[in-house]
Amino acid sequence: MIYTKKHPALLIMGIIFLAIAFLTDTGSMNGLVGYLSVKKFVGEMVGMGYAFGAIGVIVGAWHQWGQHKEGNVDYYLSTIAGAIFILLIAMAVRWYGAPLVAVASKAIGPVMGAKHLHDVLGLNYVVLGILAGIITVNVFGIPAWAENGVRLSRLGLKTGVILLGTLYSLGELASLGRLSAVMVGIFVLGAVGMVLWLGRRRNIPNSMGGVLSAGMGVCGVSATVAAAPVVQAKSVEIAYTIGTILIWGVGCMFLFPVIGNILDLGHIQFGAWAGTGILNSAQVAGAALAYQPDGIETLKVAEIFNITRVLFLPIIVLWLAVWYVRLEETDPGHTVNVGTVIFEKFPVFVLGFILMFALSSTGVFAPAQHYKGKFFDNNIKAEKLLKSGQVATLTAEAGKLKRADRKQAVASLIENKKIMSIEDETVIRGIYNAKILSKGSNKVLKTATKVVRHTAKMIKKFRQWITLLFAFGLTGLGMQITIAAMKQAGGQPLVIGGIVGTTKAVLSLLVILLFVKETI
Amino acid sequence: MKIVKIIVASHGTPGAKVAEATALNLARENGASLHHLLVVPDFWKGMKGDDWLNNAVTQFRFGNYVENQLAQEAAEEIDRLAGLAAGKSVSYSHDIQLGKPADCLIKECDAGVFDVAVIGSPRPRGVPGYRSRMALEKLVRGLTAQLIITPHPEQ
Repeated sequence: MIYTKKHPALLIMGIIFLAIAFLTDTGSMNGLVGYLSVKKFVGEMVGMGYAFGAIGVIVGAWHQWGQHKEGNVDYYLSTIAGAIFILLIAMAVRWYGAPLVAVASKAIGPVMGAKHLHDVLGLNYVVLGILAGIITVNVFGIPAWAENGVRLSRLGLKTGVILLGTLYSLGELASLGRLSAVMVGIFVLGAVGMVLWLGRRRNIPNSMGGVLSAGMGVCGVSATVAAAPVVQAKSVEIAYTIGTILIWGVGCMFLFPVIGNILDLGHIQFGAWAGTGILNSAQVAGAALAYQPDGIETLKVAEIFNITRVLFLPIIVLWLAVWYVRLEETDPGHTVNVGTVIFEKFPVFVLGFILMFALSSTGVFAPAQHYKGKFFDNNIKAEKLLKSGQVATLTAEAGKLKRADRKQAVASLIENKKIMSIEDETVIRGIYNAKILSKGSNKVLKTATKVVRHTAKMIKKFRQWITLLFAFGLTGLGMQITIAAMKQAGGQPLVIGGIVGTTKAVLSLLVILLFVKETI
Repeated sequence: MKIVKIIVASHGTPGAKVAEATALNLARENGASLHHLLVVPDFWKGMKGDDWLNNAVTQFRFGNYVENQLAQEAAEEIDRLAGLAAGKSVSYSHDIQLGKPADCLIKECDAGVFDVAVIGSPRPRGVPGYRSRMALEKLVRGLTAQLIITPHPEQ
């Protein structure tokens, strides 16, 4: 079979990317860039525009005029059209669509404290990208030339999660891992158990209970896809369950950021809540980026929860398989192979995440002790040392400090004119955060910490790529959410799913408000 | 009016079974043949939704499982209606199509020459089943055969 379609679409998209890059590079778009306040994206517009424009034009010319033969070259190059299609939509939303919404929203004025409507509703490039994907597939449909490449969105998301591994410190990963294991453990097992219990009370078939419990408990459609063959779900049961989960997931993606803003949740709290309460893992990432579009701290927390959930998936599928076989004793041909279930359902990309984390910890991408891409290094030039006036300011106020560690850290700073250790730096941050000294002294302390903290260039690049990969992946996944599939929501799965989903979301929010603090 | 060929669209729901009975009786009274159209709704193409966590093996297994499940359910329906037709000595044929019910029925009627098409009425609210209704306006505008819509048994 030949996968490449003779079509000019890829060539045209390549030309559009090149035009954006050229016009931005030459300053012809300065008016628009200024109006939309998107100067921070100019580098992307030029760099990505030229790179993907060139790819689009070269491969697009081959699509249109080349000789296509069955084989790997045809198969892999056929995917470029779909990938560039997603990218063009995702970047159009990121560079122009979302900023335009922000301009319109700001024109209305603040609606909740200092927050504007688009902040409260989380209408940023991620959510609008998913929406653009949903609109594309449901209004226009995915063109035949793009169908093969649209599936690459999954690869984009998995690559994004793997790269995310570079941004965690060991302490952060350990703390978040513990928190997520407890939260996910309680709520996954609780939701699975609750669905099975409600299912028995409402007399639904075991196969329906099995597939619904996996979907509601673990990670939405992904868990349904994994569990359906194992519990031998009927087609109507699969349709009801996936429809229910899709509606619930899309609804939560919009609702969670609004509630998070109303309650003024911190990044860790919101990430933990979204990672526990939202059923579909794609929408967890969407909600996290909707809540914090200009940073990835929330996404980092949410993704640890996602990874924990997906690690639970083989266990839950195995549990359901054993549970189903035990209940349906009438089918002797249906047995459970523990090894096969665990091996097939194991999320291999999580190994990539762990590998990147391990590599990052060895210092390949940034000094090993980096935290959020920043690392301590006091080997600074002479002109960066504290000036005599700054030393005098600190010396005059050093007596105000009572705690021994604070006295020692400031004394060391005065003596050496620079911070000498990470421990001292932590103490000095504590001093200016506590506002013990005057504004002038705090300014000196801040300057002293700033000069010994350096940003790792590689980590900065990773952060940028992670954001782009998630934007690409989530826009592409939006193209796979059809209204026809959502309309299948109904029957007992809708009732039971509604009860369990609401209970899970509300209880997890309460637990997070009560027990999860904003520091890890 | 001479009725030689009848087409019935059915996937075995209670409403469609009434249409089957009407079509069978009509075929027997007129000595006509009965053609059974079974439509597999095209929403199944989007039923992996936004799953991205599973590996290719799991997705492939799910796709195969759903295909087999749908094929098995279709085969059961075809066997059942073929049995009923044989019981009434009515000549029976069938076809399975993937798509939207109205589009498929119009296409099938265009391909063969049918005198009458029989369908069940839409499922009342609250009755279990797929959300894949026959688009009646589209059907009556595009259909070349005469159309009979039988009432739902629960109405």
